[in-house]
Amino acid sequence: METVQLTEMMYALRNPAGVPFYPIVFIALGVLTFAMHIFFVQLMLGTGAITAYGAFSNNPYWQRLASSMLEIAKVSVSVAIVIGVAPLLFVQVVYDPQWYTANVLSARWVIAFIVIMIMAYWLMYYYYFRNGKFGQGADKPKARWSIIASLAIFLVAGWIMHSLTSQMLHPELWQSWYSPNGMIDTSGSQLHANSPWRFAFFILTAIPVAGAMLVAYRRFKAVREDADHAYLDWAAELGKKWLKVGSLLVLIPYLGWMLTLPETAENFAGSIWSILPALGFIGLAVWSHLRLNDPKSICNYMVLAMAFIAVLLPSIGREVLRYDILNGFFGYNFFDYKVIIDWYSTLLFFGTFAVVGGAVLGYFLTIAWKVGQSKGVYVPSAAVDRAGTIAIWIISLWMLHFFVLGFWVWMQ
Amino acid sequence: MELISLFPTWYEPAVGSGWVVGFIATFHVLASHTSVGAALLFAYLSYRAWKDDRDDYLDFVKKYGLFLLVFTYVAGSLTGVGIWYSTTVASPNGIGALIHSFVWKWATEWVFFVIEVIGIYMIVYLVGKVDKKTHMKISVIFGIASFATMVIIVGILSFMMVPGKEAWFDEGGYLLGFYGDNTFIQLAMRAMFMLTMTAVVGGIIVAGIKDAAFKKEMTRKLGWLGIIATLLGAAMFQLYLNSVPDYALLVMENRLPDYFGPSIAIVLGLTIGYFILTMVQPKFLVSGFAGTMAIVILVAGLWPEETARESMRKPWVAGQYVYSNQIIGRDVPGMDIQSQLPLIEKVGILKAHPFTPEHLREAHNGNQIQAGEFITMTYCANCHSVSESGIRPLHRYFPDQVTQEVMARYIRGALVPGNIAYMPKMPMLESEVQAIAAYLTKINNDGLDATNLAISEEIANREAEKVQLVKQPGLVISMKSSAEEIQ
Repeated sequence: METVQLTEMMYALRNPAGVPFYPIVFIALGVLTFAMHIFFVQLMLGTGAITAYGAFSNNPYWQRLASSMLEIAKVSVSVAIVIGVAPLLFVQVVYDPQWYTANVLSARWVIAFIVIMIMAYWLMYYYYFRNGKFGQGADKPKARWSIIASLAIFLVAGWIMHSLTSQMLHPELWQSWYSPNGMIDTSGSQLHANSPWRFAFFILTAIPVAGAMLVAYRRFKAVREDADHAYLDWAAELGKKWLKVGSLLVLIPYLGWMLTLPETAENFAGSIWSILPALGFIGLAVWSHLRLNDPKSICNYMVLAMAFIAVLLPSIGREVLRYDILNGFFGYNFFDYKVIIDWYSTLLFFGTFAVVGGAVLGYFLTIAWKVGQSKGVYVPSAAVDRAGTIAIWIISLWMLHFFVLGFWVWMQ
Repeated sequence: MELISLFPTWYEPAVGSGWVVGFIATFHVLASHTSVGAALLFAYLSYRAWKDDRDDYLDFVKKYGLFLLVFTYVAGSLTGVGIWYSTTVASPNGIGALIHSFVWKWATEWVFFVIEVIGIYMIVYLVGKVDKKTHMKISVIFGIASFATMVIIVGILSFMMVPGKEAWFDEGGYLLGFYGDNTFIQLAMRAMFMLTMTAVVGGIIVAGIKDAAFKKEMTRKLGWLGIIATLLGAAMFQLYLNSVPDYALLVMENRLPDYFGPSIAIVLGLTIGYFILTMVQPKFLVSGFAGTMAIVILVAGLWPEETARESMRKPWVAGQYVYSNQIIGRDVPGMDIQSQLPLIEKVGILKAHPFTPEHLREAHNGNQIQAGEFITMTYCANCHSVSESGIRPLHRYFPDQVTQEVMARYIRGALVPGNIAYMPKMPMLESEVQAIAAYLTKINNDGLDATNLAISEEIANREAEKVQLVKQPGLVISMKSSAEEIQ
């Protein structure tokens, strides 16, 4: 098929309902939420790897660290899944022709992804319940296979998603995947495209991200009266090593990815969008080397933000690369998606995100933070308690507005 | 090229893609409804724990919350995403229609999802680590956030059946599509169902309570909750049936299996009987019994109810303008959407479909069976299997040894003009009618293997013809593209 025919085909596949706001906003939200999603995926993989390593180690520090990181890994999976909903939503809004085609052509894998994820998550919980929070260190952990299997299966799930996003970028091959040798294949049984370098880059970034968590972990736990500083210092040193070595290590697969980009990516590899992510990781390594020497410094928390920025840069680069291929080579420009602006639902989202999300999550995270640093039962201050009351009012008013507006529309 | 928004087809021969969506969706409904109902119960119990200074209530919340965290939150959140994924591959234009109308509503729901996920961890892990008043506040926020996820999704589900207001077709806009009779009645019905599920699944936790007096108290609380919710839910279901379009009821009467009505009635009776029994004799409440009841409700109650809702909206799959075979069958001026039927009538489905291979863009004697297969996959495979097994197999609808002529007459008379109430209109050119008739006749009379063999022969003949043409002197240059294709 000629390129111009492919362009016409992708435009035909757009949903005729259009989009309710300017497409660039969905792209921006997609990039931001993807970066958050992949950050928690990497956190889960990194802390999960620590748990697995600690399960086989005789070093009591490793065993203890493994136990603590399992808690973070568990929560990170939940957060990664729930945050992952957002980029999955936004990619369907402006890149529906590419995303839906890529999915249908590998439908069995798409369905398998759900089962695989549930299995991997339950295996992690299985390991947790077999050993209990303090099980490790006291005795050799039981069912160690389950944490290894969990991580391996999560990687399979990651490979499926990686393949689907790769397939989106090859409209020139879709027809040959759907009718190989002239025979229609409706089975969806194959994964058709991949880039091992790209996959390795996003997976190995788990090393610096987990390193950042270890440094923040020391800072967070050190304020408690019952803190074991020797252990926490050991964990933070390990984290610093992972941050510095890991940040430089990921440059290898990143370079491999950039050097093996398809021809349709044209000059992306030499562009600023390709160079910035590499600079980001080099910057993270240098910053970690210079700024993490004082255990009490605020930099021990800031390191998480720095790691996130390092992850955000390739997330932006990934989006620009997609635009370069689909618009630059194939002439599909998301900017010209039909727009039928719906102000109410647009404002509702941003209002809910900022006001309800801000008030409630601010309150929740304050409580969680304070509890983590307290011994015994935590009783919030009057100000924090009032923040909880305000959060209840805000979320209640949201619900009230939903029904009042709904009944008004209903009665029209 | 004149193309419409049609994607490749995923054909699942064993059970059918629709059932794959159904399995995932039913499981998700069980998990998500139980979670939302439990969130409201937690808010109530945490409030009572604070007011009455009761530790045992919070202990119950912790145990029930942990159970939900592992089972319904893990599986519920993933199967929730799974509904998107499965509908993406089974019905891309159906989910696309919902996404493009309600993207901000889903994004708003996502904010509440994030609150929910962080909230459940806090509710479980902060029992005993924060004072009761703080736990109560967290639980109340968590309960409202959970309920918010339900009120949002119900509006979108209602749109699948019918847009909230008829005016939506002319004026468009989120509000007119979202709010309507069906929205609120369905919400009330689902709210009752979720409380029933909460009471049933909660029984698994109550069964493990050692203190006899507390077990009795919780059994009674959950029992009353279950009975009232079940009775109100049944009443709401009747109201719901009154809120759907007339044709949907007609489809329901014609399409649903005979066991649907009795099955619902039996489950209702069983559920109420179960609650009464456990209230009178709490010792009968053991985790196995409660777990079995949850499965009974899932298999015999929820599955038929969800199947009914799915079946009733046929031939549409979303908003009464997207057909179940993904074609847009109606103008929606309010959204500047045009029916795709006129274009298909003009150029045929093979030329209108973006993924039709080049050699099938025109049906003729040399590619008839394969072109017929392509049309069948496009028009029929979402709801019908071409094999012996799977969803509503096509061979059941035709007599043995039917002739191609009779088959073509049926297609021309019933399917092309859309004369079957719950099936879409399927425009075809005469050559396409002949192609699909040839394919369906072959499938019906000779089976799938013989049909696949016939397709292979068509392909082999086509390739042989190409080679023949290349070998003829003087034709090599003019057939350059064919030669390149072969190489």
